[in-house]
Amino acid sequence: MRKLFVILLLLIIAGGITLSLKEIPFGIPKTKIGDHFINKGVEETGSVNIVTSVVVGYRGFDTLGEITVLFAATIGLGAVIGTFRKNSVNREVEAASLIVYTGCRFLFPVILLVGTYIFIHGHLTPGGGFQGGAIIASAFLLMYLGCSNKRIKENLSKTVEMIGGLTFIAVGIIGLAIGQDFLFNFLPKGEPAELLSAGIIPIVYIAIGLKVGSELAGIIDNLIQKS
Amino acid sequence: MTFLSEYIYYIGAFGLIFIGLYIVLVKKNLIKVIIGLSIIDTGINLFLITIGYIRDGTAPVFSKPGLKANEMVDPVPQALVLTAIVIGVAILALAISLAVKLYKHHGTLNLRKINEQKW
Amino acid sequence: MVNPVLLIVIPLGLAFVVPFFGFISKKIEKFIPFVALFFNLIVSLRLFPRVLEQPVHVSIGGFVPPFGINLVAGPIGILFTVLIALVGFLVSIYAFDYIKEKDQEKYHILYLLLLTGATGVVLTGDIFNLFVFFEILCISSYSLVAYFGDKTSIESAVKYLIQGALGSCLILMGIGLLYGQFGTLNMADLAGNIKSVHSVSIFVPLVLFITGFGVEAAIFPLNAWLPDAHSSAPSSISAVLSGIAIEVGLYAMIRVVFTLFGASSILTFLMLLGVITLLIGELCAFCQENIKRMLAYSSIGQIGLMLFALSIASSYGITGGLFQLVSHTLGKSLLFLAAGYMIYRSGSMNISSFEGMGKRMPYTALAFTIGAFSIVGLPPFIGFPGKLMIVKAALFEQEMLYTVLIFFILLATVIEGAYYFRVVQALYFKEEKNTQNQKREIAPLSILIPIFILTGFIVVIGIYPKLITDVLVSSASELLNRADYIKSVMP
Repeated sequence: MRKLFVILLLLIIAGGITLSLKEIPFGIPKTKIGDHFINKGVEETGSVNIVTSVVVGYRGFDTLGEITVLFAATIGLGAVIGTFRKNSVNREVEAASLIVYTGCRFLFPVILLVGTYIFIHGHLTPGGGFQGGAIIASAFLLMYLGCSNKRIKENLSKTVEMIGGLTFIAVGIIGLAIGQDFLFNFLPKGEPAELLSAGIIPIVYIAIGLKVGSELAGIIDNLIQKS
Repeated sequence: MTFLSEYIYYIGAFGLIFIGLYIVLVKKNLIKVIIGLSIIDTGINLFLITIGYIRDGTAPVFSKPGLKANEMVDPVPQALVLTAIVIGVAILALAISLAVKLYKHHGTLNLRKINEQKW
Repeated sequence: MVNPVLLIVIPLGLAFVVPFFGFISKKIEKFIPFVALFFNLIVSLRLFPRVLEQPVHVSIGGFVPPFGINLVAGPIGILFTVLIALVGFLVSIYAFDYIKEKDQEKYHILYLLLLTGATGVVLTGDIFNLFVFFEILCISSYSLVAYFGDKTSIESAVKYLIQGALGSCLILMGIGLLYGQFGTLNMADLAGNIKSVHSVSIFVPLVLFITGFGVEAAIFPLNAWLPDAHSSAPSSISAVLSGIAIEVGLYAMIRVVFTLFGASSILTFLMLLGVITLLIGELCAFCQENIKRMLAYSSIGQIGLMLFALSIASSYGITGGLFQLVSHTLGKSLLFLAAGYMIYRSGSMNISSFEGMGKRMPYTALAFTIGAFSIVGLPPFIGFPGKLMIVKAALFEQEMLYTVLIFFILLATVIEGAYYFRVVQALYFKEEKNTQNQKREIAPLSILIPIFILTGFIVVIGIYPKLITDVLVSSASELLNRADYIKSVMP
């Protein structure tokens, strides 16, 4: 009965959406703001990766909201899961074999390096703060899986996260003070396709990368340690 | 056949969305519901990307000289998807942690059996 | 020159640095929301006179709309900002002594993020940005509902999360459909391009938006999460959820319906939905024995009343609806705060355990009574002018439908009166059964001050409604004059 009802409901929604989709043919040329971003993006923000110039430049405020969403989820996860569970279950974990252990320790810095590369070059190549941050967090996940005796220092990760968040906001406020607009690109834009170009975009992306990396690592840490 | 080739991406994206909606509305197990929410998210992200696509388009990165602006896909949906993915991850993490806690309290993940609070 | 973006950014920055203050001393943490919201209150009050003359537009990053994101601080935005900052500020004082459990740091961060998200939703002029801030609001409220971590709160948080996440997905789908058709995300730009809502391709996103925001605003078929979530959260959070979060959901919905779509044809439907929500909420509240569930159901009813008044869509009706919104925000926060402290003392949420509280805790009980009378709509409290305006606005329309609906609204008010008086009767006119702890207990100052300030607002605005009607009238005209809004953002 329930299934039938649900299927009926979904069919109605599907019908409506099909009618609505007629207005959005597939593969059409770009839209108004998309065109503007592609044609003027390099000139206005100095970043050759247009997606980055949209994410950090034109829609930078969304990005601030986005890292806040992740921050809220991390804190919320800690609040939900981390209650009075310090040493209730003492799980016996079998140590990983030597090969896995050594492999993890070998790969850990390499993955960190790749993650850092990706968020530092966010304005030049596909990639950026979120992607780099996720890669960094995956390095910590690997460490948890392979080297079960290693732990993230909680205060250190909190500090890194805080520095990332504060840098973003500080950059925005300096822009407000200099150029009358929050997140105004007050640094020289430089030569496009150089590493030191695009003004504040690399700084913001490094901040995001640090913040996202430590947040995701914090989520992993909470889920593994306290549940 | 032209209909299919025109709309196959939309059908795929919305197919995922409806599968997800069906799972969320019908399944009893909380983990399955969370998987359903995740599938809906994926479907919506695919849908957003599909909106921005143009035929034979390349990624909107001027990584080497000679790339033409009018052959690039719309960058805005890609930026939106980046945001949407992060939001999806946030909700997923929170949902998982709640599921862990729920299991500790009730000993089951069957949502029909957990009904302490009623009208 | 004060920039409205500071209203969002400074609390956000302070939320990020709460752990840093935690390193110095755990005792400082609880003052951070206090400081941040005090700042917000000052800034929004300083913006107030300027906004009333002319809406303030700010673009982010130096890009003009529709290419960048813009903030629009119109009368309605600033009205909400002041309300959020005021209630948030008072509740943050209340939390000094009320929140003693485990991770206080996380409570304060999430509380600040919730209010920042709400401020962002009411100020932004970009539909996707609105979605992002809406998610901040939702995610922090999911976690705060689960804050106690006991059986009931986790269960209600799961319910809230599943329904809320579904709602967010629908909103995102609606945004995708709109972007595909119009190629822009700025609300004014979208509004300028949407001709009518009769076309199916625009109607579908509208329905998706109404459903999505309706979940957070707890409109009738989508309100199953609310009584659980509001009753099992900490009382300070219940006050904020009932007083701010659902109103922000309603704001988003109204903004989309009025400004973005200009959808006049759907208003009758919304009106009926509002009256049904009102009746269902009040009837369920009548049957409750648990005081917080009763208050939560009463919130559903009040949201229904606001939705009804707002969808009359005359200047007078919207003014009445917004007045009701202000009175509900103040009154319901007061009720939850007062009830929360009485629950804390008596240890039970059952109404019968409140018997004799009028003698034991005279100030709190008095404040609760005033809040209850105000919500019911007795003069001289703030609820009375609001309800009067709604009834008058509906009667001005001179249509049969409105008269019938007004009858139902008055009926709902009678039900509302019945169950609130039951509590007041328990407070004052029933003797306490166990006589062992009959001594008077005065609440600590941090609990009494916010309660007194809210009571003061309720009485003063109730006697001089003129204090806020000017703002409300200009807010109503902002909602009704789409063309002005579009022109002011996109010259």
